[in-house]
Amino acid sequence: MYNLRTVFSFEFIRTIKKKSFWIMSLLFPVIIGVVFAIEYFSNETTIQATEDIASQVFSIEITDQSGLIKGDVASIFGAKMSTDKQASIDKVASGQLDAYFFYPDNLDKNTVEVYAKDVGIFDNSRYQSVATTILQQSVAPNVDAETTAILKDSVSYSSTTYRDGKQTNNFKEIIAPGIFLVLFYILIVMFGNQMLTSTTEEKENRVTEMILTTINAKTLIIGKILSLIALAFVQILSIILPILIVYILFRNQLALPNFDLSNIPIDPVRTSIAAVIFAFSFLLFTGLLVAIGAIAPTAKEAGSFFGVIMIFLFGPLYAVTLFVSMPNSPIVKFLSFFPLTAPIPLMLRNAVGNLSIPDALIGIVILAISSVLALSIAVRLFRHGVLQYSSRLPLSVLLNKSRIIAKPSKNK
Amino acid sequence: MKVSSTKNNAVVSIKHFRMDFGKKTVVKDLSFDIYKGEVFGFLGSNGSGKTTTIRALLGLYQPIDGELLINGEPFSVSSKIKLGYLPEERGLYKKESVIDTMVYFGRLKGLSKVEAKQRSENFLKQVGLTDKTNLRLDKLSGGEQQKIQLGITVINNPDVLILDEPTKGFDPVNRRLLMNIIENHQKAGATVIFVTHQMEEVERLCDRAILLKDGTAYAYGTIAEIKKRFGGASLDDIFIKVYGDENNVEENQ
Repeated sequence: MYNLRTVFSFEFIRTIKKKSFWIMSLLFPVIIGVVFAIEYFSNETTIQATEDIASQVFSIEITDQSGLIKGDVASIFGAKMSTDKQASIDKVASGQLDAYFFYPDNLDKNTVEVYAKDVGIFDNSRYQSVATTILQQSVAPNVDAETTAILKDSVSYSSTTYRDGKQTNNFKEIIAPGIFLVLFYILIVMFGNQMLTSTTEEKENRVTEMILTTINAKTLIIGKILSLIALAFVQILSIILPILIVYILFRNQLALPNFDLSNIPIDPVRTSIAAVIFAFSFLLFTGLLVAIGAIAPTAKEAGSFFGVIMIFLFGPLYAVTLFVSMPNSPIVKFLSFFPLTAPIPLMLRNAVGNLSIPDALIGIVILAISSVLALSIAVRLFRHGVLQYSSRLPLSVLLNKSRIIAKPSKNK
Repeated sequence: MKVSSTKNNAVVSIKHFRMDFGKKTVVKDLSFDIYKGEVFGFLGSNGSGKTTTIRALLGLYQPIDGELLINGEPFSVSSKIKLGYLPEERGLYKKESVIDTMVYFGRLKGLSKVEAKQRSENFLKQVGLTDKTNLRLDKLSGGEQQKIQLGITVINNPDVLILDEPTKGFDPVNRRLLMNIIENHQKAGATVIFVTHQMEEVERLCDRAILLKDGTAYAYGTIAEIKKRFGGASLDDIFIKVYGDENNVEENQ
């Protein structure tokens, strides 16, 4: 216990002191901040550009065969009516006129033609906007506001659903169990590499012989894993806190939606299942990555195995729609119960509410057994790989054929 | 300080030790004892089985046959033996500071943080590295890193000190410094197992020695007894005589 605490604090403190840890931790909220800033300034610029276009005066001529264009609306935009289509087009071509709009009859079948002075790929669209606005404003008085809203699909709807006599909110219900899925993704992406190198470091630095004659391999590895979990919490906090601060302080300026966290429904069963699946998934992948680190002589070589694990783990994300729409299909069942692919399907299905309790229990048992197995294999491989400084550990060690073993020997 | 040894106080006892790697037998039927408080020379050419024996003694290798005991029991990290082991393969956490690394190993060896820090600082003063206390290990020269590793090895004032090629890469000044440190630990009661090729060090420090050849004990006894067996020649001459006909065979692992 004393040594476990020593390993934990050594590993935790030395990582927390690294600049790279904080760069990685703060990069995520910074990137999110930059994205929001770009979106904010982009919105501002677009609004400004629209206002600029609205205030600009073009020389426009219009030919209206549809009979829908109102003269007073056209005159607001400074447009004059034309009866000679070709003459107007020639004026545009020669630069005497900014734009010419030709509204044909039967607009449901024919195309409105816009001829305009080229002002660049981005600004050219303004002419079509003006042509559309003139047409819409001309016909607006003929249709009531409700019909306009229906036709423009701008009617708002509210749905109220019930399950077992209680009102439900499927979208909000996803949030609590779904958080674990997001956490898992972030942890693996940000910590996968660190888990991998946590054991290759001892080998690469040739420290294993000294350390494993001082403490046992299991204590070392558990201490490392616990420190990684603690570091993960620090990293999660360092991601969430800046986002929360920015949200609270700048929500209005950034036009962010108003989340009322007090209204988020928490289903204790689904949230608990999500937490358990998350915990065992994290342990399983920690064990696997530590085992890979124990086999490979260098972090670089371990990296190629890491890629394979990531494909298994995140590959199911490509079948997201399948997990939501066909939860009972054989492929979904397989991906949910195969240990290497199980975390994402199980957590996703649980979040959207289509993971039955029996399926959840089977999945949890599979993950629990796999994670214990992965961790014990990791410890075994680490003990055996202790003196394989420059070569990959042969897998025969799993069959107990190796004489290299960093644990008390069974002397006669 | 030469000690008188008796067969009743064996700290290390190896009996009929055999070790194979695949089809190759590296050590065959090796038996010897090391007595409390003595400095024991473990000699042999490359590939003679010295490091293999040490690793098996410390439980890093599982022997094919035989019994390897420290204080009457197979070594494990939970043994109450205060062990100091400087392996042949040298290395440290290179990106950590000198003091953090020393304190870490001190704590793993059962010292309190304050005690580990105090002993680390004393050692750094002793070897003239006080100014490097807070430097990262990869900023130190190879020789300085070796001194730090020795400091880690002896930080717990071990009862059994196993040093595999401790002077490898040291200049004569630092070699002398290291010899003094080893001598001090022996005077304090430690049993020292000294794996080396440096015969003058063996002559100066060791009470007894064993010469391994082809995985067996070629000669074993006090330094005087070994010399007498080879007609009173120096250990250097004996080494050349015993191993001179061998090519430089790499150590098995």
